[in-house]
Amino acid sequence: MDRKELEAKIIELVSITYQRDASELTVRTSFQDDLKGASVLMVGLVAEIENELDAMIPLQDAAACATIGELVDKVEEEL
Amino acid sequence: MGILDTIYARAKADPGRVAFPEAENEKMLQAAYETGKEGYIRPILVGDRERILAKAAALGFEPSVFTIVDIAEDAYKRELIARYVALPDTRLKEKALARRMEDPLYYAMVMQKTGEADVTFAGIDNTTGDVLLAGQMIVGLKPGIDTISSIGLCEIPGYAGSEGSLLAVGDSAVCTNPNAKELAGIAISACDTVKGLLGWEPRCAMICYSTLGSGQGELVDKVKEALAIANEKRPDLKIDGEFQLDAAIVPAVAAKKVKRESEVAGKANVLIWPDLNVGNTAVKLIQQFGHADAYGPMLQGFNHIVCDCSRGAPVSEIKGNIVISAVRAAGEKQG
Repeated sequence: MDRKELEAKIIELVSITYQRDASELTVRTSFQDDLKGASVLMVGLVAEIENELDAMIPLQDAAACATIGELVDKVEEEL
Repeated sequence: MGILDTIYARAKADPGRVAFPEAENEKMLQAAYETGKEGYIRPILVGDRERILAKAAALGFEPSVFTIVDIAEDAYKRELIARYVALPDTRLKEKALARRMEDPLYYAMVMQKTGEADVTFAGIDNTTGDVLLAGQMIVGLKPGIDTISSIGLCEIPGYAGSEGSLLAVGDSAVCTNPNAKELAGIAISACDTVKGLLGWEPRCAMICYSTLGSGQGELVDKVKEALAIANEKRPDLKIDGEFQLDAAIVPAVAAKKVKRESEVAGKANVLIWPDLNVGNTAVKLIQQFGHADAYGPMLQGFNHIVCDCSRGAPVSEIKGNIVISAVRAAGEKQG
C-alpha cells in the first residue's frame, strides 16, 4: 500500500469512527480543533486500524497526533 | 455491623468470579488467594499456568483455591474469540483480538465480556492508562457515557461524618481536567455507584474553593455549571454546591456558610473534586494524615466492573477492593 492509499484508508476509518463525511477530511484535519471527539473515539479508531491495517499503534502515540497526517505517519512507521 | 462488614457478608453469600491478569505479582496473588480462601470470591488467575503454579507453591498457597487459565492454551482462546466477535458492538476482529489476548489483561477482559468472569481486577503491574485502554477497547462503555471516571471509598479512623468513618470521593484518579458536562457526569455516576454498592442515599457535594459565591472566577464557574447540568439531568439525586470541603461535611461550618436550604451541606457522603489536581492530592492527604484506607479507584462508566487498584496499595487494601468489585458486579447483575 503506497502513501496515498494509506492516507485514503485512514481518512475512511476516521470518517467511520467520528461519523464525518470523508470528503470533509484531509491529512491536515486536526483531531482536537476539527473533530473535537471524546477520547473514547480515538480508542475506536486505534481498534479499526488494528482490524483493517494490522498495525498496532499505542493509544498514547495515536492520541499525541495533532492531525490525520501525523497518524498516517505513525501507521506507516508500524507497517 | 459496619458497611464494610455488610459488603464482605454480601460477597460471601454469593462469591463472584474475579479474573486476575497480574497473577504472577506476589501482592496480587496473595490478595487473590486470601479473598478466595476466605470465601469472598472465586479467583481466576489468567497468565502462564506453570509460572503461576510455581509462584503459588513458593508462597505456600493451595492451588485448589484458584482456577487457572493458561493464555497459551489454544482451544479455549479460540472459543473465547469466536464468542467475543459474535457479540454486538465489539471493536476488534479475530486477528487483532488474538494478538491483544497475548496480554493477560486483554484476555481477562475478553473472558469477562463473554460471561466467563464477573470482574477484571488489575492495576499492580499495568498502569491506569493500560487498564482504561483495555477496558474501553474490550469491555466497552455504558450507553450514553463517553467519559470514564472513578470514585474511592475512604475509611477514615476518627472521622465521624454522616456515614460514620466512611466517605466516598471522586474523581481522584482518572479524568484529569473534566469540563462542566463531564464533571456533572462524574457526580451522577458517583451517586449511582454508592447507591448500588452501599445502599446509601447519596448526598453529593460539588467541591470548590468557594461556597455559594464566596469566591469568583472561571474555576468556580465550571463547578456551578456542572451542578446545574447534573441537577437538570438527574433531579432525583441530591447534588448540591458549590461548597468548600468544610461546608460540605461539617454541620457547624455549613450552618455558618450555607444560608439557604440544602439537603447536602454539612452532611455530604459523596464529594466530587473539581479536577484531578485536587482529587489526587486530596486522597493522598486523607491517606497520609488521616491514616485512612482508600478503597478504589472504583472505575465508573464501563459496561462491566473493571477495577484498577493503586500500584502502591498494601495487600489489605487490595483485598478490600477485590471484595468491593465483586459486590458491585453482583449488584449490576441484579439490575
